[in-house]
Amino acid sequence: MDAAYNLARWLTRNDDDARDVVQDALLRAFRALDDLRGEARPWLLAIVRNGCMRWLKSHRPAELAEADAAESAADPHTPETLALGAVDRRMLNEALAALPAQFREALILRELEELSYRDIARVTGAPIGTVMSRLARARRLLADSLRAISRASAPRVHE
Amino acid sequence: MTRDDALRLAHAYADGELDASGAAEMEAAMAADPVVRAAVDRVREISRAIRDRAEYHAAPATLAAPWRAAPGAPADARRRFWLGQAALVAGTAAVTWAATFAVLRRGERPSLEHDVFASHVRATLGGRLIDVASSDQHTVKPWLSSRLPFSPPVVDLSGQGFELRGGRVDRVGGQAVAVLVYSRRRHMIDVFVWPGREPAAPEEASRDGFNLAGFDFGGMSACAISDLNRNELEDFVHALQHGAA
Repeated sequence: MDAAYNLARWLTRNDDDARDVVQDALLRAFRALDDLRGEARPWLLAIVRNGCMRWLKSHRPAELAEADAAESAADPHTPETLALGAVDRRMLNEALAALPAQFREALILRELEELSYRDIARVTGAPIGTVMSRLARARRLLADSLRAISRASAPRVHE
Repeated sequence: MTRDDALRLAHAYADGELDASGAAEMEAAMAADPVVRAAVDRVREISRAIRDRAEYHAAPATLAAPWRAAPGAPADARRRFWLGQAALVAGTAAVTWAATFAVLRRGERPSLEHDVFASHVRATLGGRLIDVASSDQHTVKPWLSSRLPFSPPVVDLSGQGFELRGGRVDRVGGQAVAVLVYSRRRHMIDVFVWPGREPAAPEEASRDGFNLAGFDFGGMSACAISDLNRNELEDFVHALQHGAA
């Protein structure tokens, strides 16, 4: 139950809508019993995730378009070190919340729910190869934005 | 493996998604090429930062426990709230029932192992994992022994990174058993304990992504089940056995 709510909360970014989406998802789960195959956790998360996507489509369509654009963008190799020591919880949560939905969900499912690539593929309906490249890109986008945030908040002079 | 291949696989490697030969090739590439090593380190660093610092939004109490209604809410809002809760309870029950049914449908005869699995799935999905919530073994143990005809060993493993969360009483194979609940990161571990020496599961079994381990626990039968990976579950079982000895 926490996993369902955590995913919905990160995707909708507010409590009331997360609650509505999770309740709706459980109703759908009830109606879709016949489709149940394999493990229950990814199955339920897939229903929650699809509910979030429907919600995003009708409430924040711009966010999904933004995700498509980010996915097709070129992926420059950044050999810089991260220096994440200066990044606090608030910065990290803000940077994560600002990621396009597809990348945010990949990171939530992998890092907070600790799902395997195979289960993430099941929840998001994307092939495993896409899961892998999305995660790679998501981490890079997050690292870039953390680097920008920590630079802006603590300017340092290098001799 | 070329440097480009290795850089492409850095994420899969750091996530533990490569098979043994892929991982070995990757380790060779990391040893040979500092650029590859740095790439893997960066992945691990950002991954750790998210795990340590991103907020985990647990379901609010009103969502997890429908009987805790907010008093004083306007009647209409309250009716809507209860309708939502009813749907939620129905949904949770349905999912639990479906998970149990999915197991039965495979035509397996219900066994101890099946009961353990069904109880764990029911408890984790229904959010009723713990009847006595305490990280103190001296609270959990008397609670369990006052409700059961035996007294299971309860071990504090916080030093080994496994937190005691509490316990519950459940029925497995037609008898009342003690369930000790531990956690590691986001993973819940149920340990079923009952008198006797007949193991519920082979030393190693897995089922729908859950790992099971049957073992002797201070002279009683025990079975641990979790979605934790096999290695960590084995560490956990060894630590438990050591603690009970």
